[in-house]
Amino acid sequence: MAGSIPECGKGEAVLKPRFPLVVVLAIIVLALVLPFLLPWTYDQIDWDAVRAPAFSGAHIFGTDEIGRDRLARLAAGTRITLMVAIAAALVSLVVGIAWGATAGWIGGRVDEAMMRIVDGLYALPFMFIVILLMVVFGRSILLVFVGIGLVEWLTMARVVRGQVMALKQRPFILAAEAAGTPSRMIMLRHMLPNIAGVALAYLMLTVPQVVMVESFLSFLGLGVQEPLTSLGILVKEGADDMDMTPLGLALPGGLLVMLLVCLTIEGERLRDRFS
Amino acid sequence: MLALITRRLMTAIPTLLVIILASFFLMRLAPGGPFDGERPLDPETRAALQKAYGLDQPLWEQAWLYLSRLVQGDFGPSLVYRDFTVSELIAQGLPISLTLGGLAIVLALMIGVTAGLFAAVRAGKTADQTIMMAATVATALPTFVTGPALALFFGLWLGLLPVSGTGEGLSWLVMPVVALALPVSGAIAKLTRAGLATVLKQDHIRTARARGLSETKILYKHGLRPALVPVASYLGPAAAGLLTGAVVVETVFGLPGLGRYFVQGALNRDYPLVLGVVTLYAALIILFNLFADLVYGWLDPRMREG
Repeated sequence: MAGSIPECGKGEAVLKPRFPLVVVLAIIVLALVLPFLLPWTYDQIDWDAVRAPAFSGAHIFGTDEIGRDRLARLAAGTRITLMVAIAAALVSLVVGIAWGATAGWIGGRVDEAMMRIVDGLYALPFMFIVILLMVVFGRSILLVFVGIGLVEWLTMARVVRGQVMALKQRPFILAAEAAGTPSRMIMLRHMLPNIAGVALAYLMLTVPQVVMVESFLSFLGLGVQEPLTSLGILVKEGADDMDMTPLGLALPGGLLVMLLVCLTIEGERLRDRFS
Repeated sequence: MLALITRRLMTAIPTLLVIILASFFLMRLAPGGPFDGERPLDPETRAALQKAYGLDQPLWEQAWLYLSRLVQGDFGPSLVYRDFTVSELIAQGLPISLTLGGLAIVLALMIGVTAGLFAAVRAGKTADQTIMMAATVATALPTFVTGPALALFFGLWLGLLPVSGTGEGLSWLVMPVVALALPVSGAIAKLTRAGLATVLKQDHIRTARARGLSETKILYKHGLRPALVPVASYLGPAAAGLLTGAVVVETVFGLPGLGRYFVQGALNRDYPLVLGVVTLYAALIILFNLFADLVYGWLDPRMREG
């Protein structure tokens, strides 16, 4: 593992073989393309090959305990997991920017009150409220990412607020204000382009977190529901059957960890570049 | 210091109240009730049960009743585990969850701070990069993957540790605690490393060097303490993370802790049980945040004012 990590030269941010990025892209491409290439869908049962071992016949990674192709399920699961993650990260981006920018722009008491709320929410057992939400509103996939997005916006709000506070003092913003530009225009035209970079970096960092939360919920049976599948569900299925076929746990578990690690590394690199 | 504690406790009460009420009404919005089993009850029995547990009252009335009982330390009866009160279930589950969480945070601190220190001293070298890489990987290890993986390897294949339940001795604790501690230890290692990297560049360290203090003394006496400030502020979120992680770990390893009761309770619409566990979790997290603030103040005297 360590051998493939690019060495970080002094002061050199440019790394030649962006290994983690390549892995993430490869996973995304495979998840998108594989379902079209495989002769099986993720929920199709091959009655002639139940519990087929890996590399036996046409099933590359074998089949699970009811004869569904592991590779097809992995691709489908990854696709759902990534979809939920991106959607939830976008929700957190929108809410975080709106909240943080408002607090930072208005400042004073409003800012203090809004940030107190963020501090307060940080300390809450939020996961439990999300679990309650899932139980209450019937675990629809839409709710999964709205729920997760609503939990993960806090850091974004803090970061955006800090950026807006700093920008507010900059001459070009003061000039725009002096020229009578309406606040909304200043926000959209002058502020947003300047916070976009940092926001993007934190968006990147939110994605693995959301992946983690989604898988956690799905693992407990509270997130994505059958017949849809996600990496969390696959890990759960694998864990239930691990004494028979360890591969069922190793494949989705390994893929999930790899995805999380590579996304985190890329996100941190992006963040370090912008701040 | 005392002012900080009292102020924190003052804000804790409304926070708790909001959480309790939010969960209370959320639960009640859910379709289905605790008595909707596989076999439908006849309407009369159902009505009698509803009445016995006060579920026929208006919602606000119920909320008020719940709160006034809660103040007296009464969490009410469990609607699904019929022979137990919620207090009894909590009394049974809490020690397990607290042991798991407590040991996990101690282990995570031990591994994390040591690794971070080791890396910071060798900043820029291969050892540093390897440790930081390992820390990044560790933070990305979800308990629901490491838990089953550990159980498979050490439990089923090597037969060294029990896979499920709280058997004899303490060996049942090893795998759940390790699975819980790993991601937290990674984050702590990163924070310690980053904290030390900034502190060791500061003037007071240079002064200490100029005065000829030994490197060990500089590191432990003057460097580590301010460097741990970010770690202290991470303890609050870490506690929340450990509690959620415990839900998974308890499910994976079949431990009768609070987390299991919570998930089961939520699925079975066992209102008092879920509310009791959420209240307790919230109180624990608030307490732990307070504790983290105190540690913070001890590490950085400037914080004691605010």
